[in-house]
Amino acid sequence: MPTHILSTFEDALNSLRNDALMMSSLTERNLANARKGLFERDEDWCNTVIADDEEIDTLEVQVDREGINVMLRFHPMASDMRNVIATMKLSVNLERVADQAVNIARRGRKLITRPEAPEVAQLHPIFQCAEGMVKDAVRAFADRDVALSRALMERDRELDEMNRNYAERMTDLMSKNVESIPTYMDLIFISRFLERIGDQAKNIGEDTVYAISAEEIRHTNRAAM
Amino acid sequence: MTPTIMQEDHRANQPKAATAGLPQGYTAPTGGRPDFLAVKEFNFFYGKKQALYDITMDIPEKQVTAFIGPSGCGKSTLLRNFNRMNELIDGIRHQGEITLLGRSIFDPKIEVIALRRSIGMVFQKSNPFPKSIYENIVYSLRIAGQNSKSILDETVERSLRGAALWDEVKDRLHDSALSLSGGQMQRLCIARAIANRPKVLLMDEPCSALDPIATAKVEDLIHELKREFTIVIVTHNMQQATRCSDRTAFFYLGKLIEFDVTQKIFSNPSEKQTEDYITGRFG
Repeated sequence: MPTHILSTFEDALNSLRNDALMMSSLTERNLANARKGLFERDEDWCNTVIADDEEIDTLEVQVDREGINVMLRFHPMASDMRNVIATMKLSVNLERVADQAVNIARRGRKLITRPEAPEVAQLHPIFQCAEGMVKDAVRAFADRDVALSRALMERDRELDEMNRNYAERMTDLMSKNVESIPTYMDLIFISRFLERIGDQAKNIGEDTVYAISAEEIRHTNRAAM
Repeated sequence: MTPTIMQEDHRANQPKAATAGLPQGYTAPTGGRPDFLAVKEFNFFYGKKQALYDITMDIPEKQVTAFIGPSGCGKSTLLRNFNRMNELIDGIRHQGEITLLGRSIFDPKIEVIALRRSIGMVFQKSNPFPKSIYENIVYSLRIAGQNSKSILDETVERSLRGAALWDEVKDRLHDSALSLSGGQMQRLCIARAIANRPKVLLMDEPCSALDPIATAKVEDLIHELKREFTIVIVTHNMQQATRCSDRTAFFYLGKLIEFDVTQKIFSNPSEKQTEDYITGRFG
């Protein structure tokens, strides 16, 4: 696509995009740190996740401010307008992913204070799925990849199913091992946080499809059901 | 008696509603005749130079249609063809057809003056006559032989109210029109144009010389006027096209590149040239 005649407009759009991509990589890093904290029972990683969240919050505000500035100064139209909107929504979704990483880290810290439970390891595939979805959502946004974005819808359904099964297993175990109920509760919560991360990745995918092709794919599943 | 387009019963053979063929997810006003003002395979030449190429489009009734495009793209030329204003220029010729309510505007039986009464025009620069506000409005009626004071008074009030100017000038109707502000003068020209109760109102960059407040008043007026008139507006201001119009046509180098619902044009145009132009990538 040719560049804008107005170079300041081009610069403003690039700056907005770069900040959003910076925010993406920090969010991915925070999620990876939350994973290490949880599975390696490492409190330092958990604390890092909680501390680093502030940086992501700051970037969210910055991306919003830049987006508003672009709309105010340049009145973007068509694909520019869709991109600005999608970028601002991306930052909202990333901030929520980062918040979920903080929630996981907090629960992880609690789990470390208790004896190691074998059920923690069963969270691996759920974590892997959610983390992979965030990575691919960001990649699809950066590379303008509609197919990869669309694929997130199906992956989200799989993640929902994994979360449901895991929660059922933990609920069953609660009745058998009453003393470990707090641990199972934490694990159910973590699984739920991961499921929410999948939702946010799916949202990013939907917004990316809108940005690229102006196609509205939100809630299309529900309509088909 | 010479038939005039104004006397036509344009609802007699009303075709499908103007909402037909809307892109999914986009809205535009309902009702009205979709081909109220229709252009068919229209080519236009200034001497040897061709200014318009094979334009075909249907302008729907009681909607606002915006023409956008870079300077020299032919949008004003097409606009001026709608009431045959171009015929004031030597060496012009056209091929193809323009119809109002299904009747050719080039029909030799139609008087140009009657056509221009049906298709009024407002220009970029306000051009009131050096007469009073009152006389500006009734000028064309007087020329047509209308001297009844009650009819003239009624026309003045109706037109000035229609142009959202009545409250500002009702106490000084006999002051010179040249004493008005730029925005008021432009609204006076709109009032003058609607005094004849035209079917179509053509506006050629009506706000380009106005300040933002006067522009907002004219835009607000356009919104009101479309209840009664079919409006075609040429504008370089894309925000204005987005705000005011129901449909937008993009012209480039004398060709109609894209014509669609305004919301669609400015959020997801089908043609790359449109996208490049409205996003400011045109080089």
